Amino acid sequence: KQHLFNTGQSGEVARATLQDVRNRLEMLKQRKREREEEDKRMGEIDLDARLKKTED
Amino acid sequence: MTHRADASSALDNRGYAGPLIRGANPITLIETAVRDRITESLYWKEQCFGLNAATLLDRAVDLSYIGGTYGVGMRPTPFLCLAFKLLTLTPEKEIVLEYLNMGGEEWKYLRALAAFYVRLTFEPVDIYTTLEPFLTDARKLRRRRKEGYVLMHMDEFIDELLTKDRSCATSLWKLPGRQQLEDLDMLEERVSPLQAELDELDEMEQDQDG
Amino acid sequence: KGWDDDEEVAAEDMVDDTDGLDPEAEYAAWKLRELKRLKRDREAIEQREKEIEEVQRRRNLTQAERE
Repeated sequence: KQHLFNTGQSGEVARATLQDVRNRLEMLKQRKREREEEDKRMGEIDLDARLKKTED
Repeated sequence: MTHRADASSALDNRGYAGPLIRGANPITLIETAVRDRITESLYWKEQCFGLNAATLLDRAVDLSYIGGTYGVGMRPTPFLCLAFKLLTLTPEKEIVLEYLNMGGEEWKYLRALAAFYVRLTFEPVDIYTTLEPFLTDARKLRRRRKEGYVLMHMDEFIDELLTKDRSCATSLWKLPGRQQLEDLDMLEERVSPLQAELDELDEMEQDQDG
Repeated sequence: KGWDDDEEVAAEDMVDDTDGLDPEAEYAAWKLRELKRLKRDREAIEQREKEIEEVQRRRNLTQAERE
């Protein structure tokens, strides 16, 4: 029942508290940082690969 | 406390028993024709279902432009759909301020969304004191218009909300002029960060005249 | 984001909303906008004051005419 409640399938959705909102923002900020890190690393890998190509 | 996942109790105006904004059901702040476009849209049906003020943030941080309606069929933007969703949720003031300040610092379109909501639902004095600080936020905003996209800035959008009578396909109820509220001692004069420079410019002009 | 179609995403990218590409220019542009707003607001106040003065002037005239 709790699961249904969470996904809104019971037709009712719990009202968010300020803390819920703060937690969500924190989580989303984390996610954003991780993606930025990932993109940065992907960029570096790509650069390495291209540099390697010019060496060969 | 709960909401209906499909916002049905807010959307059915006749039985509405929730909080009032400007004496009416908050959703009436959006015109009927536009409301219909919103609730008929795929974005509303698929992305706005089952959200509360916390989970709505998942959508809001993915916004990449502001706007009302666009195209031939008056399609609603996700921005407008989320603003409408907020009107059905009527989150507490402190939550709106969290969106605007903390959330908005990280995500500019979230700030724009919250500012739009503030303009529609807060009291006049609070609208000025809450939004004016962001006249110093110069971040770029993409705006979707009927014909296409244009570039604007946060400060211009805030200024629009404070001075125009329409924005994002929505009629903005008449805000008493700042001067009026200052005369009533309800507001302090606004001091711009450029005030010092402006005063210098004035002095220079006066010296030239004299 | 997958609900948006590719054509739309392409059009969106035509308008770049990336910040910090040229901080000095961006700040200068903001300054200009802010000064314009301040000027506009000040002129509105001056306009209002002129109108009040005008009403006052007319009132004084009528009184003088009465005498």
